[in-house]
Amino acid sequence: MKKASIPAVISTALICYIFWLLISGGLVALIKGAPDVRNLIVGLIVSIFVGLFSARFFIHKDAFYLWNPARFVQLLYYCICIFPVELFKANLDVALRALNPALPINPGIVKVPVDLKSEYGEAMLANSITLTPGTITMDIVEEEVPVEEAPVELLEGETEEDAAEAVPVRTKKQTFYYIHWIDVAAEDPKAAGDMIKGTLEKGVRRIFD
Amino acid sequence: MRIVVDILIVISIFFAFAGVVGMLRMPDAFTRMQSSTNIATMGVLGVILGGVVYAAFGLHEPEMVVKLLVLGVFYIITNPISGHAICRGAYRHGVRPKKEMKCDKYGEDLVEDK
Repeated sequence: MKKASIPAVISTALICYIFWLLISGGLVALIKGAPDVRNLIVGLIVSIFVGLFSARFFIHKDAFYLWNPARFVQLLYYCICIFPVELFKANLDVALRALNPALPINPGIVKVPVDLKSEYGEAMLANSITLTPGTITMDIVEEEVPVEEAPVELLEGETEEDAAEAVPVRTKKQTFYYIHWIDVAAEDPKAAGDMIKGTLEKGVRRIFD
Repeated sequence: MRIVVDILIVISIFFAFAGVVGMLRMPDAFTRMQSSTNIATMGVLGVILGGVVYAAFGLHEPEMVVKLLVLGVFYIITNPISGHAICRGAYRHGVRPKKEMKCDKYGEDLVEDK
């Protein structure tokens, strides 16, 4: 386990302090102009301690990533505009399936490739998928897959096997989700991926990449 | 104002009802989990939103609005983790649906690893 850096501690403490203000009612009192000073100071001390002890679990790289206003606006846009629409559509779909006398379900587990760079983005997309009724992320794996390359031009007197031996197969790391899907409409990884996480992945990529 | 609150709560009751019916009718553990997500998302969020509207325009208590919103946020953050853990644990423990699934990539890859 790595030790926490100072920016990571500050960032965690700030988030804790914001939640303290929201839950203890300190923010409303501040806006009204009658802050309870003792309450604010106790919250500050507690959140600094929490930041000291728990920063290393939460933040590993860039501590002030989400404090960038542009990213924060994107996060709010995702939480308020993109995600609820998908959530409502999927909810209606599953509810109608459950109430339909014929029970038209067709369950299965599909494997779907995901192209996100950051760990937080992957976790956020997985949780969004699980939260949408009809799909549950069962596991996340990272596998080596061969890179698709243009075919090598053959030199004179060279067979295709020689060329294949000369160029080693390059691989890259690709993340896969295993998703339990209540109505498997497509088994092909790419097509299934587009249907399950098309708009969600775009939204998450705008926040974390 | 009262009408908006009522509509939101009726919507959430509809989804909770559909979720319960689904849990009783679905054939196996995984599809039941899917149906229970219905209750956990729209069923709860509708009530919370109704409460927010009521607290903001009926009671005029901003503190209550903030607390309800924070409650909703924590609910949304923590709920999928348990759903994911239950589903994965069930599958790895050996729970399989009675009816064959249409495709089962996870099972195939697990066998290959062993």
